[in-house]
Amino acid sequence: MILFIIKRLISIAATFFAVSIIIFLMMHAVPGGPFDGNDMPVSAAVREQLMAKLGLDQPLWVQYLNYMGGVLRLDFGVPYQSPGESVLSLLANAWPPSLILGGLGVLIGAPLGILLGMAAALNRNSWIDYLASAVATLGLTIPVFVTSMLLILVFAVWLNWLPASGWGKPERWILPIVAYAAIPLATYARYTRSAFLDNINKPFVTTLRAKGLSERRIIFQHVLKNSAIPMVTVFLPMFIGTATGSIFVESMFRVPGLGSYFVSSIQNRDYPLEMALVLMVTVAICLAYLISDIVYALINPRIRFGGNKQ
Amino acid sequence: MNFMLKVGGALALAAVLTAPALAQSRLVAPGLSTTGTYMDYMRTVYARAAGADLVQVPLSGFDKNYELTALAAESWEQSEDGLTWTFKLRDGLVWSDGEPLKASDYIFSLQQAATSGYDFAWYWDTAASIANWKEVTDGTADVSTLGIKAVDDHTITVTTVTPKPYLPSVVSLWYPTPKHQFDKVGEDWSTNVDTIVASGPFKVQSWEKSNNTVVLEKNESYTGPWQAQVDEVEIDSSLGLPEVGLPAFLAGEADISNLNAGQIPVMRQRMPDNLRQDAVFAVSYISFDLDSPPFDNVDVRRAFYYAVNRDELTSTVLRDLAAPAGSILAPGYPGYNAEMAAKAVFDPQKAKDFMTAAGYPDGKGFPEVEIWFREEGGANGAILPPTAQYLQAQFKEILGITMNIKIMPGKDWMEGLLARKNNLYIAPYGYDYLDPSNFFGIFYNGGRHNYHVAEYDALVAQADSNPVWEERLKLYAQAEQVMIDQGMIVPLVHPLTTSVISDAIGGDATVPNENGYTPFGAFSYMYTHITKN
Repeated sequence: MILFIIKRLISIAATFFAVSIIIFLMMHAVPGGPFDGNDMPVSAAVREQLMAKLGLDQPLWVQYLNYMGGVLRLDFGVPYQSPGESVLSLLANAWPPSLILGGLGVLIGAPLGILLGMAAALNRNSWIDYLASAVATLGLTIPVFVTSMLLILVFAVWLNWLPASGWGKPERWILPIVAYAAIPLATYARYTRSAFLDNINKPFVTTLRAKGLSERRIIFQHVLKNSAIPMVTVFLPMFIGTATGSIFVESMFRVPGLGSYFVSSIQNRDYPLEMALVLMVTVAICLAYLISDIVYALINPRIRFGGNKQ
Repeated sequence: MNFMLKVGGALALAAVLTAPALAQSRLVAPGLSTTGTYMDYMRTVYARAAGADLVQVPLSGFDKNYELTALAAESWEQSEDGLTWTFKLRDGLVWSDGEPLKASDYIFSLQQAATSGYDFAWYWDTAASIANWKEVTDGTADVSTLGIKAVDDHTITVTTVTPKPYLPSVVSLWYPTPKHQFDKVGEDWSTNVDTIVASGPFKVQSWEKSNNTVVLEKNESYTGPWQAQVDEVEIDSSLGLPEVGLPAFLAGEADISNLNAGQIPVMRQRMPDNLRQDAVFAVSYISFDLDSPPFDNVDVRRAFYYAVNRDELTSTVLRDLAAPAGSILAPGYPGYNAEMAAKAVFDPQKAKDFMTAAGYPDGKGFPEVEIWFREEGGANGAILPPTAQYLQAQFKEILGITMNIKIMPGKDWMEGLLARKNNLYIAPYGYDYLDPSNFFGIFYNGGRHNYHVAEYDALVAQADSNPVWEERLKLYAQAEQVMIDQGMIVPLVHPLTTSVISDAIGGDATVPNENGYTPFGAFSYMYTHITKN
């Protein structure tokens, strides 16, 4: 197990550097630079001056080494769009709203989705199943900005129960969390239903029933545990995905989170910020999969790390 | 009884203490851009923070009728040779930290702009023509040689290369930089709320950088004209999108919302008295690469000029979004010439004749072309895509040509324009200051499109420096005729914006001007002439 984790950490490090090189080259391959404006451009002399100030006049490999040297010391540079602070402090300010909304969205949506999926599987081809499938399908197919708009119209504009948007007081969190929760809820409902139906007709369930175990014990203790692996596969990456911000949800609800930086850093050719965001997400996803693998083993001891050893 | 009295007294005291806080009026309005780098107009125009225009006081400004008004400057005069302007500052202007606002703060801001990579530097060269500006920005002359000088704490002189009779209008974008704060904190003084000092009607209370939302509060130390009428202004750039702004407005969380094309009829029906329209002083036009085929042929360009049905375009796909543009100047803009604008007629036969004269009868033999325009938000974002599609269909039908459409990021579009990577563009342009030279300058001596039309350049140069307004107008009209004869551009539309305002706000800024428009885009005037109950 420890060897497995060490190997995976080494592979994460390799992935990290590979991604950093690819993204760095891609960023600089895109036409235009941070000082090529949408309107009248700065003069060549001024542009040179600005590029020199930020070290962008140096060869690419030197720029890369300088940047990565900083990253290894946890210095992600200074964002061009907010020069008075570091990339880390900028992200530290913007991450909490994304983490709260995305995290709560998954933590609320996932259990509800599991319950919905279980209900559908246990009542296959009944109205409950059809309703659950409809909810899951709608949750996955309706774009999140449409869901957000509907929530605002119904609960803020028509019913006047909740604030339409903004950030700060917890009542402002409710609608964006519901909008966030729609996707994990739908995803989990579908995964759970499918995994449950796979397991519920397996011989071990028949054996358990023959042994006289209660249906509740069979479902919650055995079927749910055996159905958990695909859910674990989805959970952490989904958590990371939502907790790093959604440009749509955050825009619609005016949440000052990370989402907008993913877009503005690319639009403004804000290289330090763009790199930091990509590297942050890379590490988070790699770690999420590592944790998922470890959880597999804890759920199912038959899974062994490192190949086909039995 | 004693207990009741105590409770009553405590409640009364609490009411008195909280009364001022409850009386605070806060205006919530949409911002322009969700990114803003510096709270300093003189450091960056295109990436400035929301409200940067309100935190410092420029030398002059424009009211809702576009009348030039003295702000930090109380008077100005031009020298006899027309090359030097002298501006006198008002007495009693101070920074929000108590330091006096001096002429040297204005000089310092332009010196910084000339030497620190200001993204609006072209303006002070092209529009103001400040002596030695180009040499200083190119690094070939010392900043001390710049044609600006603080004669004393209240007097500024500006020396220009050629006479600039409209310079008082140009300096409406000349804001001061607090030199004392710059010296203390450094060049990033305007990135941190704690180190920003204000000279204008508002000062910064908070700044949420992730979406460029700013809360401003009334600057009590500001003694100049146009003082704030509300205690606080929240400029929330997230509300700039009508899809976000209108729901927040309807829920009572915003006082003003921009409206998109779909929302206008709904809100017109629901709150007809609360709608406000603004004719933005801007134009969208087709530009060409005059030196590469097939647009090096003037007959081809003129065919395009007559093949556009502006009335149909603005009454159908751009309904409520734009007005027909016969000229680069919008109606109501100083120097607008209705006679010249009337020449931009839709004449399909004339367009076909020009194509035939160019050697492409019914478009036969004409190469497939591509028109480029850039992704934008706001008014232009709503206008450009349908305009391109409309033109595509119309040019096919009338001229018999195939025109493809390419939409691209702003930076790529601008790079393509300057490097002449394509030969056909839809270009939008909004005014910077109120004088015809602003728009005629776009095509002057290279300008934005690398145009070099000698006759046009000569006329514009004469018009720009002529001190007599009527004579200037005649020269600009002649220049505009050259534009038409040479088919330099095809003016298309002037954008319109529509907003809805809540019943809670009022004041002069919410009352339409003499042309029936409410110019919410004139920020300095708007935010200082608006009240909230």
